[in-house]
Formats: sequence, structure tokens, C-alpha cells
Amino acid sequence: MVSNKLSSSVPTDREVVLGILNDSEDALNKLYTGYFPMILQFILNNNGDEDDAKDVYQEGIIVLYNKIKGGNFELSSKLKTYIYSVCRRIWLKKLSQQSKKTSNISDFEDVMAVEVDLEQHEEKDKQFDKMQDALLHLGEPCKTIIQDFYINNLSMQDICEKFGYTNTDNAKTQKYKCLQRLKKLFFQV
Amino acid sequence: MRNEIELEGIIEDYLNGKLSEAERTAFEQLRKNDPIVDHKVVAHKVFLESFGEYANVLDLKAKMDRAHAQIDVETLSEELRPHPSYIINIWRKNKAAIAVAASFILLTIVTVYSIQQNTKQIGSVELMSREMAKIKNSQSSLIRIINSKQVPNAPKHTKPANFGGTGFALTANGYLLTNLHVVDGADSVYVQDNKGDSYKAKVVRTDSQYDLAILKIIDKSFSPLSNLPYRLKQSGIGMGEIVYTLGFPKDDAVFGEGYVSSRSGYNGDTTQYQVSIPVNPGNSGGPLLDHQGNIIGVISAKEKQVDGATFAIKSKYIQEALNSIPNDSLGKKVAFNKRNSLQGLSRNKQVEKIQDYVFMIKVYK
Repeated sequence: MVSNKLSSSVPTDREVVLGILNDSEDALNKLYTGYFPMILQFILNNNGDEDDAKDVYQEGIIVLYNKIKGGNFELSSKLKTYIYSVCRRIWLKKLSQQSKKTSNISDFEDVMAVEVDLEQHEEKDKQFDKMQDALLHLGEPCKTIIQDFYINNLSMQDICEKFGYTNTDNAKTQKYKCLQRLKKLFFQV
Repeated sequence: MRNEIELEGIIEDYLNGKLSEAERTAFEQLRKNDPIVDHKVVAHKVFLESFGEYANVLDLKAKMDRAHAQIDVETLSEELRPHPSYIINIWRKNKAAIAVAASFILLTIVTVYSIQQNTKQIGSVELMSREMAKIKNSQSSLIRIINSKQVPNAPKHTKPANFGGTGFALTANGYLLTNLHVVDGADSVYVQDNKGDSYKAKVVRTDSQYDLAILKIIDKSFSPLSNLPYRLKQSGIGMGEIVYTLGFPKDDAVFGEGYVSSRSGYNGDTTQYQVSIPVNPGNSGGPLLDHQGNIIGVISAKEKQVDGATFAIKSKYIQEALNSIPNDSLGKKVAFNKRNSLQGLSRNKQVEKIQDYVFMIKVYK
């Protein structure tokens, strides 16, 4: 079977878990490239295309990532099986949402129960979408200011210069207003 | 407005643990006393956490996109996409089912085969002529080589016979009966008597229906036998009757005794008896006699892999075969003695008399 070819380039489960716990981008890279063909094969053989594969796979990796970060990933379950099962579940859900038939699924790997993890993931995913929506509605320059401050960790001074405010107080006021609106958008949705 | 901004700054510092010990105590006091401030702290905490996670996922996605860019998706999907061939798809999808089906079919075949083996006498009778040359291949097939011992009285042939069987005298003047399969396709036939003398013989008559052949000794050195001691029993014989035979599975005559185990032969063939008697290649064409010395049949075959299932052509059909032969072709009417001189003799006396009338048939092909 084609999926057997994976084994050579795939990092060990332990490497992946330790790498993710230590925020190693290299480990993530290896993980990502290692298991992608498995999911691509699954999606392509079950009414999906390459883009579907990418979306489903990335969602699956996020689930795995959160589980490892949450500290409750047990090495007893094989990483490969876990990823496959999660992605399979996600894809079946998408298929049924598109009201395509989900019977007669071609499987290539063992499958394990991952429903609990996926419920948690869906909750988080909703929060993510909410935040994304809120930021979208916030508009510029608020969005960039908030992102610069909270994500890119720029200081008020940097933001003041970047956006050409006359002094940091003005920048602070602006940021405060933006944040208030964002919170309002976020909590109200 | 200004106070609000400052308050939020403090809340943020408080949540990020940037306040000094004194400031923190003061702020916690304020939080306790003012529910509005407390509510703001909680709300801001929830928001910061959500935003933090949002940022994390965003970061992760960016990293994954970079990783994704390294993958040659097109080549991969060419390799992995469903094979256009219907059969390969079926195979990929139903590997397990196909495997189960295949093992089931295999099991069925084996079962059916073994049932057939057990319930039917399947087509594996072994004709009891000796294929001398074949013994090298297999000992279990009970075939044996005749040593090419030169018989001093018979310098006519030097090479060993290829095939061997048994025959017995029909008349005193040199007509013998044997199985057709013994002499079938023969270039030349020699018969050898109990004393070791070989005589040239020719096939004068064959009956493929009953697998019988009549030979005539044409050698000038052959002197006619005395009157035949046995006679052909016309009526049938019952199950359990003790019978014996004399044959040449080796260079000397071999005596074998048994009983009639069935009134029909292979697969219910009514022209034969089934006899439980030890026979070996070379016994074909031998006479089967009852305890009174009447010929009741001709040994012809045995069932492979079954011990003691030997088949003998019933004497009735020997007579039929003889009757169907025009008188002139035998020169003189073949007639068995009406009298059986063996009657009442002990077994060893019977055998002693009979053995002069039983010949080894040696066939060259």
C-alpha cells in the first residue's frame, strides 16, 4: 500500500511530543510533512480534493497540538492512528454537512475513538471564529493596532511611531477605544 | 475616560503579574470592594485568554502553511489519488472482504475434495500389471523391476521385460487367459512357467469390454500340458467366500488368500467382484479360485490408497468372452473340464497342482 512509504520520513512519536512541548518549529515541520500524505490519500479517495486535505489536516494537527500542549496526550496511543482518526472524523463531519454520503468510506489505517477531543476542539474553534469575526468587523487601523500590541508585542512607543500619533497618550487612548469595541464585538456575538 | 484607560492599564498589568506587591494588595482590595472593577477584571481575563489562543492558532497555521509549501502536493496526489482502474479500487476498498472470500473458497474446495475422497471410490484404480521400468520412481506404487536374469533355456531375448503380469491356461494345448491391459500395445509377449522356462506367445484375441486377452504359446519347444485341474465356475459366488490367487508380482509365484467382500466392483461395476486380498503389480491376469479350486474370476485391478480393495472380473464374463470367440480362430473349441480334480484337496495340494498352469506374462513394448 502506498501509505507504507510514510514510515521512512516520519519522526518518532516521542520526538514530536517533546518538540511540540518545546515549541520547536522543526518538529512541527517534520510532523506536518510526515503525515500529510496519509491524510491526502484518505481525502482524495473519499470525495475530497487537495484543498480539503490541507484544511482537514491542519485542523487535525491543531487538535493534536492542543492535546499535547494540554499535557494529556498519552504515548500509548499511536500518533499516526490519532492523527488519522481525528482527520477522518473531521472529514466525515464535513461530508455530512455538505450532505454527501458518508457510507462506504475507504480506510487506510486503524481508527480510534476521538470524539471527546473533537468536541473540545469544536468549542475552541468557535471561539477562534468569533475572534476572527470580531477583528474583521473592527476594521483598520484598530485591527492592526490590537494585533501589533497583543500578538506582535510592540510597545506603545512603537505603535505611536508606526501610526504617526503625536504622543503615546494618544496612541493609548486609540488602543483603549479599539479594545473596548473589540471586546464588545467579541462578547456580543 | 482617562481613569478608564488607566484602570485598564492596571488590570492588564495585574493580570500579567507586572504589579509590585504593594500595588497588587491595594488593587485586590479595590476589586473586593468594587464589583464593577471585579467584573472588568474577569471580562478582561477571558478576553485575553481567548485572544491568546486565537494568536496561538494563527501562529500555528502560519507555521503549517510554511510546512505545507515545502510539500509537492501535486506529485503526491497523483500518486495517492484513487486509481482509475475499477478493479484496483475494488481491491483497495475491499481487501479484507476479498481475503475472507478467498479463504472461504479455498476451505470449501478442500472440504468438498476431502468429502468426495471419503464418500466415493474415485477414479484411481490401479491396474495390476507390472511396469518394471517404473519402479525406480516410486516404491509406494508397488511396482517392481524384474532382474534381467538370463534364463538359460530361453536365450531368445536378452533385454529385460518392460511389463509383467500373470496368466493361466485355458486349454492344455497352450491357450492362456490374461488381462488385456497386461498385453495391450505389446511388441512381443513371452510367458514363463513355474519351472522357469520361457515360451514365445502371441495375442490371439482381445476383449476390451471385460479387459481380457487370450494368448497362444507359439513356441515349438512347448509341449502340451496335461489336463487342466480346475474348472470355470459358471454361477456367482457369495460374499464372505474364501478365495485365493496365484500370481507373479515377482519372479516366483506368490500365493495370496482373501475373501469376497462385495458382489460388485469398482463404482458398483457388476461385472466384477471386490475381493479383500493382498495383490501387487504383477498379479493382473491371475486366476481367482474358491476353496474348491473353481476359477471364479480374474484379478484385474485394485483401488489406490485403499488396502484390500481388489477387483476381479467374474468368471461368467470369462465364459462370455470365450463364447464370443469364433471356434475356428482358436483352432479348437475351448472347453474347460467338467470335472474339477482339485475338489476335496487341501489348499497346498491344490496350489501345487495349479502352479503348473499359471504363467508369468512378460511383455516387451
